[in-house]
Amino acid sequence: MAKKLMKGSEAIGEAAVQAGCKLFYGYPITPQNEIPEYMSHRLPQIGGTFVQAESEVSASNMLYGAAGSGERVMTSSSSPGISLMTEAISYMAGSELPVVLVNIMRAGPGLGGILPSQADYFQATKGGGHGDYRLLVLAPWSVQEAADLVQDGFDLADHYRNPVMILGDGLIGQMMEPVEFHKDRKPIKELKEKIWAATGYDGTRPRAIINSLFLDPATLEKHNHKLQAKYAEMTRDEIRYETYGTDKDYDILIVAYGTVARVCSTAMEDLEADGIKAAMIRPISLFPFPYEAIRKAADKADAVLVVELSAGQMIEDVRLALEGNKPIHFHGRMGGMLASPEEVMEKVKEIKAGKSQEVSHV
Amino acid sequence: MPELRVVGQSPFRKRVTVFVGHFGSGKTEISLNFALNAAGQGAKVSLVDLDVVKPYFRSRAARAILEHAGIELIAPTGEHHHADLPILVPAIRDSFRDTSRRVILDCGGDDTGARALGAISDVVPEEDSERLLVLNFRRPFTQNAGEAEQMIRGIEAVGRMKITGLISNTHLMRETTPEIVMEGYDMARETADRVGVPLVAVTVDEGTAATLDGTSFDPPVMVLRRIVHPPFEQSPRTGTDGPLFVLN
Repeated sequence: MAKKLMKGSEAIGEAAVQAGCKLFYGYPITPQNEIPEYMSHRLPQIGGTFVQAESEVSASNMLYGAAGSGERVMTSSSSPGISLMTEAISYMAGSELPVVLVNIMRAGPGLGGILPSQADYFQATKGGGHGDYRLLVLAPWSVQEAADLVQDGFDLADHYRNPVMILGDGLIGQMMEPVEFHKDRKPIKELKEKIWAATGYDGTRPRAIINSLFLDPATLEKHNHKLQAKYAEMTRDEIRYETYGTDKDYDILIVAYGTVARVCSTAMEDLEADGIKAAMIRPISLFPFPYEAIRKAADKADAVLVVELSAGQMIEDVRLALEGNKPIHFHGRMGGMLASPEEVMEKVKEIKAGKSQEVSHV
Repeated sequence: MPELRVVGQSPFRKRVTVFVGHFGSGKTEISLNFALNAAGQGAKVSLVDLDVVKPYFRSRAARAILEHAGIELIAPTGEHHHADLPILVPAIRDSFRDTSRRVILDCGGDDTGARALGAISDVVPEEDSERLLVLNFRRPFTQNAGEAEQMIRGIEAVGRMKITGLISNTHLMRETTPEIVMEGYDMARETADRVGVPLVAVTVDEGTAATLDGTSFDPPVMVLRRIVHPPFEQSPRTGTDGPLFVLN
């Protein structure tokens, strides 16, 4: 297919279609309205169904039902909308339903504002809803990567029978870049027939029941052990990250994800021109988190700089990765304000000059 | 300051220029370039940000750049600057009264965005305005002349005014090749024939313009300076101007 110029939101929608998703249930919220808008045009063209539900609560429960029938299904929202969906997300994790959830983050807390943010890191990676569950969380930094991760996301969701979240900041949803879809794309996992799907009992196989209620505690504990084994498998097999400039010597290691990593990458080019050596590691999977890779990449550095559009939520994971062996510094913006390459450069220079205060260890 | 280089005679003769088109076709970039160019030539310019569709990358985000060039920006102010609400400020209607001013309207995308235009159609002077539709055939829902025609009819219906000309703006950002420009140009000409309006300009960015040497087009070619940049493309050396824009 010829390359198209797409907004991130449109690319996410088209990627779902290319992955065989014919069902979308959602409710509008800025800055991701272009995803449901795109699906409302596109799904009727392929015989699919788009439903604008009366709220995020109903959209997410429609997702539960559709996924239970074995169909590929997606929803998208932005921060406050995802909060409304968290009950159903926990139910879907508990019932082992493969769905793709897209969160195009806006600034919070509360209704917050409509500009970009990364302040839902905790919500995405540490739960959000109740119970011992995990989402597989993937964070793109470009429109093409958003499209690729959505397609991979469907395969991963089916393979693990677990919800996958695509976590993008507002910019990912709104910016435009050339995108290519490959017709001959192969699934990244071997996909088994969904014999667990509730498609109607015909006597040829055991009854399929989609359920997250277990009244017998021993059975529920066993179910939890099964879920934990899946999360362990994800942690073993699904860690994704990229490193930049780590083959050379460097003094500062930057850790950033999403479009913020692109801001840092621009800053790195200018730092190099000024003779300052910095490298970067960009987590792509936020759960599972690349602890080991960050620890290794930090070996050569004197200090680590975390840059985020939040108060520093990812610092907790970076701290776990470094086990106290390297000083951590932080630069963050909130409220929808964006970090600029200039700010990142200044921060790196401050660290080099010993003028930056380390993040305190609490 | 960015310069809009026009190869051939400028196609813009009327006092009011309205830019409409599908979502993401390039209306804001062209409106900003055109306003800055008109102001550079000494005209008193008002730029009306009529975008009620996209929440980021609107003309209003270039407020400082426009003010510096002496252009009056008509858009919601204060905290409403960032609102995703369909706000039409009263100053929009006033802007047409001063006949000594050039007025440029940057409309929101698709027929949805043209609804705002429909709401002020009674004050847009029909004889003294041109309504130009921007076309990028590499965008998902306008991939051929048939889809473009459908878009035009939809915009005309809700915008309550006829399109008077087309602008061929087919590109793939940094991956634009001469072939992509020509492919879009051919489809824009086909669209012009189908709907019976002239193709008034071909727009390309500076990088692409350099690759088009020797290619001839019937309408004038306008060379755009890219003004809308995401933050990671902002050069640290030029500084930022608002959260989503910078003028390089």
